[in-house]
Amino acid sequence: MTTNPVQRQMIKEAMQAIAERKPGRSKLVYDKAKRTIVAVAEGSYAPQALNITADDADMFSVVTLSAEWLRERWQELNKVGVLPVSFSSWDGGDALTQSALCVQPSSTIVEGSLLLGEQPSNKAADLAIILQPMDQATTKPDVFLSPDGEAFRAQVLPGAGQSAAVPDIEFADVEPQLALRRVGILETTILKDKTVLCIGLGTGGAFVAVELAKCGVGRFLLVDRDRLSVGNVVRHPGGISQVGRSKVNVLRDLILDKNPKAHVEVHAIEANFDNRDVIAGLLQAADIVICGTDNRQSKLLINELCVAADIPAIYGGAFRRAYGGQVLRVRPRQSPCQQCFVAALPDEAADVEISTAGDAGEVAYSDRLVAVEPGLSLDVLPIANMLAKLALLELLADKSSTLNTLRRDFDAPWYLWLNRPEPGTQYASLPPLSESSDEMTINRWYGVYFDRDEACPVCGDFVASLAASYGLDPAQLPAVADRE
Amino acid sequence: MWTLDQRRRLAMEHEILQREGFSQFGVYHYAASDSYYASGLARSSSGRSYNLYMPIPSGFPTQRPPLYVIDPTPLLTASGTSMAALGVSHAMHTLTPHTQGWVQICHWRDARWHSGIVLQKVFLKVLIWIEAYEQHLATGQPLADFVRSMAEAA
Repeated sequence: MTTNPVQRQMIKEAMQAIAERKPGRSKLVYDKAKRTIVAVAEGSYAPQALNITADDADMFSVVTLSAEWLRERWQELNKVGVLPVSFSSWDGGDALTQSALCVQPSSTIVEGSLLLGEQPSNKAADLAIILQPMDQATTKPDVFLSPDGEAFRAQVLPGAGQSAAVPDIEFADVEPQLALRRVGILETTILKDKTVLCIGLGTGGAFVAVELAKCGVGRFLLVDRDRLSVGNVVRHPGGISQVGRSKVNVLRDLILDKNPKAHVEVHAIEANFDNRDVIAGLLQAADIVICGTDNRQSKLLINELCVAADIPAIYGGAFRRAYGGQVLRVRPRQSPCQQCFVAALPDEAADVEISTAGDAGEVAYSDRLVAVEPGLSLDVLPIANMLAKLALLELLADKSSTLNTLRRDFDAPWYLWLNRPEPGTQYASLPPLSESSDEMTINRWYGVYFDRDEACPVCGDFVASLAASYGLDPAQLPAVADRE
Repeated sequence: MWTLDQRRRLAMEHEILQREGFSQFGVYHYAASDSYYASGLARSSSGRSYNLYMPIPSGFPTQRPPLYVIDPTPLLTASGTSMAALGVSHAMHTLTPHTQGWVQICHWRDARWHSGIVLQKVFLKVLIWIEAYEQHLATGQPLADFVRSMAEAA
């Protein structure tokens, strides 16, 4: 795209003249030598005229209105003939997005008015948009279909002193337009009625929540005590402008930005034993739990509560410096739970990323500090992506979906991913990716099967198993003695 | 409020201690506050006694129970300073001390604890810790030098 202002003006005038079907001072011609369209001044040959690219053609500003908002206020507009409407102004006015659509508005707001039928005698607002009835309904972006079934074309009224450039208008009908993009794969709106409890909204947990919102999950319960710090920004979906905010609130806005109809409930608390009852209460409303916490105790607490409530849960985590990671899916009393995993694969369960000072503090001693060594976001996201996909499969259980073909592929309880052959680990001497077809390598998912422990203290009967080993009847165990 | 599963588990824990040669320790219920604790007198091979106290947290067995030496207090290092003042010490295998100044022995850290660990195993590790502590008193070397193999195991 050209940066020469004179040449940009020529192209703009030519494009506007074409759009308005009026003669202009510039015209577009095809330059055979350059094999492209060029803009030249009318009546003169200008060999230095610039090529017109697709970017140049996209030069008109756009005003986006919410169709849903207008449907809800249609009666009022019919009654009074005019509605106030405000816009977030982006990119120096290149895009004006109705505030009703903006979860996070622009710092510049443009006030406008929406008129039905007739042009006003005087113009009070910065921006006036008029709706003119049409004889026939069309599906063009600037056409609004009223609740009565009538079609109206929207047009910005050029104000006094304004340039002749009239912005395009587009009606955004958010929910159907978003659903249209998903329907090829999901073929169902069942996710709209599903509730996901997301505990731990670090890099991985936040990514999963936003991905599930994009898929159309309708209800989120978010739990995290932390605030977004500057250091988080290189990994977390939240940006520098969000620093200092609670992660639950940052995520609420990110979710609503992707799925405006979602219901999001936030709880800025830590997943620990002090908040056990709160979390147990939240579980009652959840169809699935996504555990993105980074410490053993919280994972085991969530596991205990989920197994007791018979709610499936998915646990994800990166290994140190995110050289790899793991995902565990728990279907209570059908597959191994987090406690079974910790007992069966203790080294894998203990290999965790130390991504914050808080994580380091959990395992450090006063005389032996532990370095904070976070992995890269791009190494965490494959793990989060797998977690989101497994969550989606659980939410779609027994429903018809193209994704059902994945069930035979994702039937293991535990999944292992390696980003690199990390020195000092059992994976240090993996063969190069290009040289191996049947050996373990990086950048592949491995489903690992292991059995649920029937004597698990959480999902089995540990006490009965122990009692049996002593020849005791667990029902006959004497109660613990009282002492003063 | 304790669940039936927790009460069964604690009863089983007491039974294991009694049947596995750890009968100097036991699990007890304090009716006034409906709380549980494990306690007992550990005797080292040199004949010294250590009174141990383990309040059972409400999240047990998922939540790790802390274990304190309540007598002698203060427990001293070889150089005569208070061991509790060391706080979370890798060299001495201790965790955050109790507000009363009791040393908390590091049997398992939160990052390694899980509900499959029975209290008998905790008391076994603590008996080893006590032997290592006395070696520390005798030699002045860090306690970790004598329990190195336990450092990251389990």
